[in-house]
Amino acid sequence: MEKPGEKKPAYSGFGEEWRPSNLTPAEAQRATDWVEAKIDKRSMLTKKDRVEDTRDAMWQLEKEGEIVVHRLDERHEPVVARTLYGWEKKIPTTNLWHHKSCGQCGNIPGYPSSVMWLMNELDVRYLDETDQTSCTAWNYHGSGIGNVVSLAAVFLRNFHQAYMSAKSQGLDVGTYYPLVHCGTSFGNYKEMRIFLMHSAELRAEVKKILGKLGRLVDGKLLIPEEIVHYSEWLHVMRDRIRERQTIDVSGIRATVHPACHVYKMVPEDVIYDETVLDGNRVAVSTGLLQTLGANVVDYSTWYDCCGFGFRHIIGEREFTRSYAIDRKIKVAVEEAKADVMIGHDTGCITTLDKNQWIGKAVDKVYALPIMADCQFAALALGAHPYKLAQLHWHASPFEGLLEKLGIDWQKAKAEFETYLEEVKAGRIETLYDPKRAITSGPGYVKPKTPAQVGAGE
Amino acid sequence: MSATTAATAERGTIGDPVSATPVVPQAKLEAVFDDIRSHILYDHELHGCLNCGICTATCPSAHYYDYSPREIVQLLWTENLEGIYDAMQEKIWSCAQCYTCAARCPFENSPGGLVMIMREVAIKHGMQSAKDVLRPFSRVLLKVISTGNQLAPNMITREAFPDWGPNVSKIDAPLNVLRKAIPVPTMHTMDTAWEVNLKTSVELYTIWEATGVLDQLETVDENLFDVVSDVMDEKRDEYQEWLDEQEEEGDAD
Repeated sequence: MEKPGEKKPAYSGFGEEWRPSNLTPAEAQRATDWVEAKIDKRSMLTKKDRVEDTRDAMWQLEKEGEIVVHRLDERHEPVVARTLYGWEKKIPTTNLWHHKSCGQCGNIPGYPSSVMWLMNELDVRYLDETDQTSCTAWNYHGSGIGNVVSLAAVFLRNFHQAYMSAKSQGLDVGTYYPLVHCGTSFGNYKEMRIFLMHSAELRAEVKKILGKLGRLVDGKLLIPEEIVHYSEWLHVMRDRIRERQTIDVSGIRATVHPACHVYKMVPEDVIYDETVLDGNRVAVSTGLLQTLGANVVDYSTWYDCCGFGFRHIIGEREFTRSYAIDRKIKVAVEEAKADVMIGHDTGCITTLDKNQWIGKAVDKVYALPIMADCQFAALALGAHPYKLAQLHWHASPFEGLLEKLGIDWQKAKAEFETYLEEVKAGRIETLYDPKRAITSGPGYVKPKTPAQVGAGE
Repeated sequence: MSATTAATAERGTIGDPVSATPVVPQAKLEAVFDDIRSHILYDHELHGCLNCGICTATCPSAHYYDYSPREIVQLLWTENLEGIYDAMQEKIWSCAQCYTCAARCPFENSPGGLVMIMREVAIKHGMQSAKDVLRPFSRVLLKVISTGNQLAPNMITREAFPDWGPNVSKIDAPLNVLRKAIPVPTMHTMDTAWEVNLKTSVELYTIWEATGVLDQLETVDENLFDVVSDVMDEKRDEYQEWLDEQEEEGDAD
C-alpha cells in the first residue's frame, strides 16, 4: 500500500514516463489473465509440475556410478541465483574457463575482449585456451549436418578439457569451470545434458567415442553440475561492476533483445529475478543495465527472435534482414525511442547490427546502435571503445551513443589508429600472457615443478 | 497401419492426383517416415497436438514463408506420409530454429526439434532439397569440419556480404593488423575465429567420423567431402609427426 507523499518508483520496464494504471484488483486480475494467455514467463509456469529438474537425474546417475559430476565448489566462489520455477542455480564467479563463441571471435571480437577485460578489472581468474572447438550447433541448426551424438560428444569433449585444463598449469583438475559465451552453445549444451540424462543409449554411444579420445574421468562421462552463460556471470557480478563505473549512463534509453537460445531453450534453467522487471522477463542483461543506471525501455516485439535463422543469415538473407528491420529495429526506434539495443548472444548481435545498412534501399533507415551487454558495461567502466570494446567492427552507428555517454569517439579513434602503428611494429597489448593459451600439443611448455624452480632451471 | 497410411498405400504415390506416373513410391515414403519416428529424440519432441496453433502464432518464419509449425506437428502426429515428404522438399528449411514454438507449446512439443529430425532425414536420403539448400552453406561446413570453428574473420568480406554495407571494419587497415589489435591472444587469427590447437581439430574430426557426420557430408556434397578428407589427412599426419617427435624426445631423455 502506497503511503501518502511516498513516490512509488515507476515500473521500469516501460521507461520513466510510465504512469500507474490504478486498476482495481479485479481489473488487474483480468489484465494478468490476458498477459498470462499471451506472452511472458508466466505462460511457461503452467508446465511447472510436468518439468523435471535434469540435475536430479544427474545426481542419481552419479550415485549409481555411471557418471562423474564436475562440481562447483569454493574454488569457483559460486553465487546462487533463482530460475524460472524458483529453483536454485549456482553461478561461478572466478576460476572460469572461457568457452568462446566462433561468431563472436570471428565477427564481434569486442564481445569476448570486453568479458575478459571486466574479469581483469574485477580480479577474476580465468583461462582462455586453444584446446576448444565450436559447439557446432550453429552448423547443425542451419544445415542439419550433425546429430545428437556428435553434438553431445562435442559438448562433453569441450567440458572435459575445461575440467582437465588446470593440469597444464600444475593445478588440480576441476579448478577451472566452463563459462559459455554463445547463446546457442548454452542452449544446445543444456539440451544435450537433458538428452544424455534421459537416454542410456546416447550415453553409451558418446562414452565409446570419448573413451577413444581419452576424454573420460575414471572411465565415466563427466557432466557439469551447471551450464553457465557469461550473461549469468555478469548478472551476479552486476553490483561489483557498478562499484567500478565511471561513466553515467542514466541518459540512455536502452532496449534489450533477449536471445531465443538463451531463454526459450530449456527455459526452466533461466534466471528470473523479482528485482528485475518484477520477475516477468529473463533477468540477465536487463538487470545489469538497470544496475548501471540505464533507462531500460520495453517494446512490444521483445519476445520475437532477431531473424538470424542459422541457415537464413547465410543463404536466405531476405528473411533475416526483413525480420530484423521490421520486427526489431523499427519497433525499438519508433516505439521505444531507443538509443541502443543490447543483446547477449552472437547471432542476434550480428543480425541486428549488420542488417541495418541495407534498409537504405527501401527507405528504412533507423540507425540503432547494437552491442552486447558486456561491451556496454565495459564502456560504462571506462574501457577504450576501439582498443578494448572493438566497436569499429560494428556496422551500426555507435558514434552518437558514445557522444551521449560523453565519450570523445574521434579522439579515441585517433588513439586507436596510432596504436595500429605499434601493432604493425609488433608491440601488441594483450589481456593476459599469451603462453597461457597453449595447454597441450605443439607449442605447450610444461610448468616447472617446485624442485625445478628451486634449482633455477 | 493407420488409416492415413492405408489410404496412401492404396493410391501409391504423391504429387499430381490425376497422373498415373508414380512420383514417390510408397516404400520410399514409409522409409522416410520410419527414419523420422525411430530418431532417438522423436518421442521427446512430440507428445500430442490439439491444433491450437500457438506455435504458429509466435513463429517468425510463419510471417514470411508458407510455413506453419502447427502443420509440421499435425503431419507427423497423423502420420501423413505424403504431407511429410512434401514438407521436406521446402517447408522444413523455412524454420528459423528459434524454438519459440517449443517454449510455448502446451503439450511440450518441440516443432523446431521435429524440423531438425526431418532435416537430418532429408540429408540421409540425399533429397535434392537438402543439396540445394545447403549449397550456400558449404563454406561454413568446410570450416567447421576441418578446423572446429564455424566462422573465420576472412570469411566476412564485402563480396560475400554486400548487403552488410561497404565497411567490414570502420577503421581502414589490413585485416591481419586489425586482428592483432584485438587484446585477446587466441584471436590473432584470420583463418579461424580463434587459434585452434592441432590436437583439438584432430579430436573433433574423430567425432565427425564416429558419428556419421562425414557420411552426411558425402551424401549432400561429394566434392566438399573430398576436400575435407584431404585437409584432415594432412592434419592427422602433422599431428602424428608431432607425437612421434615427442616420443623420440622422451626416449632421448
